[in-house]
Amino acid sequence: MTRNSIAFWTGSTVFLVAVFVMTQVVGNQYPFFAGYVILQFIALAVAWSILGGYAGYVNFGTSAFFGVGVYAAVFLVKAFGAPLPLQILAGAAIGALMGFALGLLTLRMQGIFFSIATIALTIIIETTITNWRYVGGAAGIQIQRPAVTAPFDNYVQMLFFVQALLVVLAVAISRYIQNSWIGRGLQALRDDELAAECTGVPTLRLKLLACVISGALMCAVGAPAAMYLQYADPASAFNLNYSVTTLAMSLIGGTAHWSGPIIGAILLGTTQQLLTVTISSEVNVLVLGLMLVLFVVGAPEGIIGLIRKLRGDRKEGEV
Amino acid sequence: MSKKVSKPGSISRRRLLATAGAALAATPLGAKLVRAQQTPIRIGMSMPQTGGLAGGGKASLLGIEIWRDDVNAKGGLLGGRKIELVVYDDKSSASETPAIYSKLIDVDKVDLLFAPYATVPTAPIMPMVKQRGLLLMGNFSFQVNSKVGHDMWFNNAPWGPADSWATSFLDIGQRAGGKSMALLAADQEFAQNLAKTAREVAAKRNLPMVFDQAYPPNTVEFSSIIRALKAAKPDIVYIASYPPDSAGILRAVNEIGIGDNVKVFGGGMVGLQFGAVMENMGSLLNGVVNYNTWLPEKSMYFEGTKEFFDKYTKRAVEAKIDPLGYYLAPFGYASGQLIAQAINAVGSLEQKALAKYLRENTHKTIVGPIAFSPDGERKETAVLQAQFRGVVDKNMEQFRSSGKQVILFPENLKSGELIAPFEAARK
Repeated sequence: MTRNSIAFWTGSTVFLVAVFVMTQVVGNQYPFFAGYVILQFIALAVAWSILGGYAGYVNFGTSAFFGVGVYAAVFLVKAFGAPLPLQILAGAAIGALMGFALGLLTLRMQGIFFSIATIALTIIIETTITNWRYVGGAAGIQIQRPAVTAPFDNYVQMLFFVQALLVVLAVAISRYIQNSWIGRGLQALRDDELAAECTGVPTLRLKLLACVISGALMCAVGAPAAMYLQYADPASAFNLNYSVTTLAMSLIGGTAHWSGPIIGAILLGTTQQLLTVTISSEVNVLVLGLMLVLFVVGAPEGIIGLIRKLRGDRKEGEV
Repeated sequence: MSKKVSKPGSISRRRLLATAGAALAATPLGAKLVRAQQTPIRIGMSMPQTGGLAGGGKASLLGIEIWRDDVNAKGGLLGGRKIELVVYDDKSSASETPAIYSKLIDVDKVDLLFAPYATVPTAPIMPMVKQRGLLLMGNFSFQVNSKVGHDMWFNNAPWGPADSWATSFLDIGQRAGGKSMALLAADQEFAQNLAKTAREVAAKRNLPMVFDQAYPPNTVEFSSIIRALKAAKPDIVYIASYPPDSAGILRAVNEIGIGDNVKVFGGGMVGLQFGAVMENMGSLLNGVVNYNTWLPEKSMYFEGTKEFFDKYTKRAVEAKIDPLGYYLAPFGYASGQLIAQAINAVGSLEQKALAKYLRENTHKTIVGPIAFSPDGERKETAVLQAQFRGVVDKNMEQFRSSGKQVILFPENLKSGELIAPFEAARK
């Protein structure tokens, strides 16, 4: 294990322990409700940047994967009363399959055409769910939470911890990919796909792999959202907001390093939560828009790029 | 200006008041009174102010704000406590409301909760308020409590029992000689709920359903659907649609026609309650029988109704929202009236006692008397079915006068008779 890895795993353990202690000590529910949403976006942004950042394939289908995760959980709860871990695992499996299918169908398209295809995917799946009466159809469905499992005494606290686990998992995978041959291959194909192919990088296979992993993570993140809301309707679950926000978080944070999406998601997610309960009007949409414009103009490489530029850091790929 | 000089030895009125006030404050009772006057009664809610539901949300909020200002102008509740509203924007989304209501309950520690406008943002907070045993005043959501079963939920909307909507419309249709029905519904939450009950009621009455179709949201071209519907030759046409599609459907009907056998047309078309849409549609509205919640007919004026709309009309211009405001705003005001009556009767903010009072009594409001059934919905439906008559193009003000929307249901509010068939009523 390198020194870097030790630092990473120590950090992750400290984070999880802190989250766990928080669920045991803090009685006020609001930090868990708001924190859950922020953690959810961190995991989504990290998962997104595996395909969108490393490979440079801008995926607008985050909401499709997220929504499928939500509805996988809804279906399992309604049909079998499945417990939360099973919902998440099933979500991940379906997400992986969906990522594979999406990859096969669309990864031969490049640039803007791939992005458009992913938007189409969202619409197709949303329409399908809208017409599937068993999971509520257009009218939506209310679901009841089961009793909470010890040592948690509140379901939202448990969901908060579960989401923290998913964040650590997503980040660990993303970090592994970046530092391994997969990441190097993805970076090569991002810079020049033709050149990468010519030098022997198996571009389609790598892209497919990235698509599968990214999809599985996004769906897994969506699954607990069903229990968080105790309600699912297609318009909310497949809201294009998830796609746009996730993309904005990754871009603001910077896609060149695994920590970029985390920084972006924390910054943007926290700002969003704060704005919702402070300014709370049309203005908060404006503030987010302005933030995005400022970053695109002032820091096109995101915060990570900005930090590197300021430090004149040449050691790319390392913290 | 001359300065008032008080004679030496005499005591000025101001000083007398100050001394008396200080003396009162010094006593334990006085201290309590002063503190009570200082702490307002805080009512927390989220309200869609951006996104698809924003138009309705803003009108509803204005209704509640007018109530707050009225109460505060009269000196507040519980011996002088002013009303304060804590409102957050939920962006019309279900995913925002759990965090917002947790903030309202755990951080802001508001005294009472109002629900956001509409079903989708309300649905996720129902289990939460049930678990915490909190009173929630509903705001135009549809059947959100049917599965949750919270006994401290009270919906301000006039819906009543779930099937009453379809029942009243089909009653009108069958009385006019309708023997078969067609159903056209948007693939969205509210419309699908209406369609479901309509199917059930039709089946119960052995009314043959000759056409039953759902169309995807954002459909703009309805001529092929209306042609198919016309070919089925139904007597009663029940439409459950959203604002943009309501306009599209009426345009298609205007172009293609709907056939002479159609007795009544409409029922659940959302959008035909909003001033801007009505002004835009103009004469295309004539003949349509559609649901509404409040209309400027003689039978709809109760104590305070006229005063409310005087204030609303003035403030709606400044706030740039629906200038008519019939659909939601008076019910926002009524929510306030309900809770104020409960607080006055109970004499405290104790939620269980307030809920008990609301459940057991009939309450006077500007939208008429309100009584609740055990599930927190109205005991009896007060959803109006009204027929558009003599509407001309491009005129908002015409909708302020009576007779433009003649109330056919409920009986006690009726202001005219149905003109059938639909084609005759359109002229």
